[in-house]
Amino acid sequence: MELSRRNFLKSGVAAATAMAVGVPISRIASVAAAETEQDWRWDKGVCRFCGVGCGIMIATQDGKIVATKGDPDAPVNRGLNCVKGYFNGKILYGKDRLTQPLMRMTDGRFDKKGKFTPVTWDQAFDEMAIQFKKAYEEKGPTGIGVIGSGQWLIQEGYAMTKLMKAGFRSNNIDPNARNCMASAVAAFMQVFGIDEPPGNYDDIEYTDTVVAWGANMAEAHPVLWQRVIDRRLGHSDMKIVNITTLRNMTSEGSDLEIIIKPNTDTALLNYLAREIIQRDAVNQAFVDAHCVFCAGPTDIGYGMRATDKFAFEAEKDIQAREVEVTLTRDEAIGLGLDPEQVHTIKQANAATADRHWLVGFEDFKAGVAPYTLDFVAELAKGDAEESLDAFKAKLMRLADLYADPKRKLVSFWTMGFNQHVRGTWVNEQIYSVHLLLGKIAEPGNSPFSLTGQPSACGTAREVGTFSHRLPADMVVNIAKHRDITEQTWKLPPKTLNPKVGSHITKIMRDLEDGSMSWVWVQVNNPFQHVANANHWLKAARENDNFIVVSDAYPSISAKVADLILPVAMIFEKWGGYGNAERRTQLWREQVPPPGEARSDLWQILEFSKRITLAEVWKEQAIPGLKDEGFEEGKLPDVMAAAQEMGYQPEMTLYEALFETPENKAFAWPDPVSKGHDNHTVKHLGVDWFVEKALFEEYAGFGRGHHHDLAPFDVYYQDDVRGLRWPVVDGKETPWRFNAKYDPYVKNGEIEFYGGAMKELTTGNLTGPTTEEKTKFPGKAKIFFRPYAAPVESPDGNYDLWLCTGRLLEHWHTGTMTRRVPELHRAMPAAVLDMNEKDAEERGLKRQDAVWIESRRGKIKAVIETTGRNRPPRGYSFMAFFDESVFVNKLCIDATCPISKEEDFKKTAIKIYKV
Amino acid sequence: MNISGILVVVPPARIEDATRELNALPGVEVHHTEPSTGRIVVVQEAETVEQEIAALSRIKALSGVMLAEMVYHVFDETPPEWDATPAEMAAS
Ligand code: SF4
Repeated sequence: MELSRRNFLKSGVAAATAMAVGVPISRIASVAAAETEQDWRWDKGVCRFCGVGCGIMIATQDGKIVATKGDPDAPVNRGLNCVKGYFNGKILYGKDRLTQPLMRMTDGRFDKKGKFTPVTWDQAFDEMAIQFKKAYEEKGPTGIGVIGSGQWLIQEGYAMTKLMKAGFRSNNIDPNARNCMASAVAAFMQVFGIDEPPGNYDDIEYTDTVVAWGANMAEAHPVLWQRVIDRRLGHSDMKIVNITTLRNMTSEGSDLEIIIKPNTDTALLNYLAREIIQRDAVNQAFVDAHCVFCAGPTDIGYGMRATDKFAFEAEKDIQAREVEVTLTRDEAIGLGLDPEQVHTIKQANAATADRHWLVGFEDFKAGVAPYTLDFVAELAKGDAEESLDAFKAKLMRLADLYADPKRKLVSFWTMGFNQHVRGTWVNEQIYSVHLLLGKIAEPGNSPFSLTGQPSACGTAREVGTFSHRLPADMVVNIAKHRDITEQTWKLPPKTLNPKVGSHITKIMRDLEDGSMSWVWVQVNNPFQHVANANHWLKAARENDNFIVVSDAYPSISAKVADLILPVAMIFEKWGGYGNAERRTQLWREQVPPPGEARSDLWQILEFSKRITLAEVWKEQAIPGLKDEGFEEGKLPDVMAAAQEMGYQPEMTLYEALFETPENKAFAWPDPVSKGHDNHTVKHLGVDWFVEKALFEEYAGFGRGHHHDLAPFDVYYQDDVRGLRWPVVDGKETPWRFNAKYDPYVKNGEIEFYGGAMKELTTGNLTGPTTEEKTKFPGKAKIFFRPYAAPVESPDGNYDLWLCTGRLLEHWHTGTMTRRVPELHRAMPAAVLDMNEKDAEERGLKRQDAVWIESRRGKIKAVIETTGRNRPPRGYSFMAFFDESVFVNKLCIDATCPISKEEDFKKTAIKIYKV
Repeated sequence: MNISGILVVVPPARIEDATRELNALPGVEVHHTEPSTGRIVVVQEAETVEQEIAALSRIKALSGVMLAEMVYHVFDETPPEWDATPAEMAAS
């Protein structure tokens, strides 16, 4: 490029940057900005790379993205972006972008042992349908599965849910969000009876205190962290606390860093609850008016299989704990039992872990009574080199911050809480603390669950792409919810399957034990991100099954697939995301996808054309189905009822579910497009606006039911930067459950109106003592949950903790961010962060290559003792972005038994020199 | 070539020193400053993404920098490059 043009461009970029963030500039400079941008088409979009949901502006020219900038009008990020935001424009143009379907073939035919060979879309879908029908005929709806994503666009997640649940009558659909958010979701439902946070990001600017629990916000949610730091600059009383198992970037900006041992967050929260009661800091009026107390079973296992039939030899000792466990001394104390006695517990409630009942305040008080400062400090202190007294002083300081009635406080958490064998409990406990204090649902007082993926809320949770869910917080195992869904979808009664399907880890286990033999993966890399990967890789490649992966790049999952379908990425299609503060944001297609790549939505609809109603709406065997109104183990034939409704047996699922008269009424082209294309519509060869029709159909579930979305077109208005639902009478809801802000509050100033699980039996900490149920509409639950030790802890053989997580430059499994080769070189190979003294003790030093071995596998890596994560003695950390260092081969596939979310944070390992 | 616009924030008292230090970094040019708030707009030019990210880290490491985040990116003359079948797939 010639020099003058580049200088001109730079002046323009400088001026435009200044304008985006509100730094005043001269008129001449603003003219330069305008001239630089004059040939570009700008439109608004949303960042694809995390749940913060920053607004970005995208510039295109000649079908290519030429520039992006932080959107100055976006309330989330006000013009800023983090480094990851930078990839939004880059990510489409990786060298190894997949641009045509690839199938494993030998001699021109599908062969599981064959080589990937380019095929046409027709060949791809034909084989996919043959394999689908084979699995479906043989094993029924439970023999097939879909692994979806918290990065699915709203419409994609909705279409796939409808295809699976209404079409294939299978609930085996689950998103990777299961392993990111499910514990938060389960706790929202248990505590409030409705999903998603009461507050929003603006709480940061109203608060005096931010406490990060198991959330390295500085790396994982940088733009929000920036808002936290800004608040401190402008508010002298602001305090920031980082509660973590290792020193990380978030510690840098914090006033108080508390390093704890794995799983002791449950004990620490009970200490806070106890302290609040002891100090008489309970907001009694709030608790009396708005809360009830609850307890549940503690013999709930760890979400593993109860059999060791498929376990590696080395895994069997841990696996056995799924059946029976001996309590540790600390667990006994935490349960109020005699620590001198041996307590052996059968995991009797493993399948009913979410059961709970009402208890009294006195029961709750007795439950938290053992969690004294002395007990909890001894148990929780995570840094051996810190003195007990210093640690105790920190805990008291933390209690001071929470208990101070004048201090507003936000608790943020992410994976440290969620990826936890007691993930649901610990989420519930943080609400318990906030509810006891009444610090909730008002500006600046907010327990806030952050999300990792850009649409974990918008798609996975709100659309309900989980194996137990239907849209708008409904679930498959409640007859009334199925009825509502069947009516909305115009299905014959009893089309929907009442039996909860396989969650993501179980889909992997089903592939291994052969109960499932056809799986479609979209926007997701499960063969890399699901723990205990050696099992699943082998199952995928060696069992008789068919795995389809829709992907933009050759991820590990694509490589283990039998058929790869190339996808259109984020700004190559119309779509929408929902961020962590209930903000729904929609965008237009900006550039065409490359080659034969097509949107996931197009793929779903095209595949649905290959299956007829006669094939799916007949009688189906569902092993283990026992629901009322159904013959045991069976879904009825609904074809006769369907014919009365006007359906024909030879109709395709596309015609029955998607190309409905209502949907066809949304015409394409539409003025909202403002000249932007729609490749999905074009390649379907239709004249209806698929994304708009599906959005409106989906929104029908939530409108009038606490989940109102605005009309599709509103999100595209120039002055709208996403809206926080419920959007009622054109107005968004910044704080829920508070009459000042939330039109759904009908009784009093605060009302926790979520309707799920608001009728329970009553008892004490050990169990219910009555059969009779009490209703408590409008109230939230304060749970007592005891400390529970991790399922696996270091011992003489596997003598180090391993925690996994993500780093700023890489996002999740790195399939996309790794594509930018320069960036990959910036973080060349996954390193194992460990304490210098632990390294020395093993005769190792920084940069040594080592073997890391767990009960489940081993991998090679390089050790680092001076990185930005500084683990205490006995603890190590590794990022899970790198395909060449496959950390999930090491991790245990134990889950929270309630949420079924895996615990990637606590595996016992040993390391030795290569 | 990648050109990005970055917002840097320093305490207002440090704005002159910071401007000098920023201008001394390779590929970095200070274009606008707002002395009253300590805000500085710089433009960063780099051949590769790696260089750009390294440069951002260097800016963050300057003394007194309270914030340095990317705001604007121009991808100048980066032609799309797509391979039909990536080598690693074809070999499997
Ligand atoms: S904070 Fe998240 S949403 Fe915002 S720019 Fe960074 S990755 Fe994107």
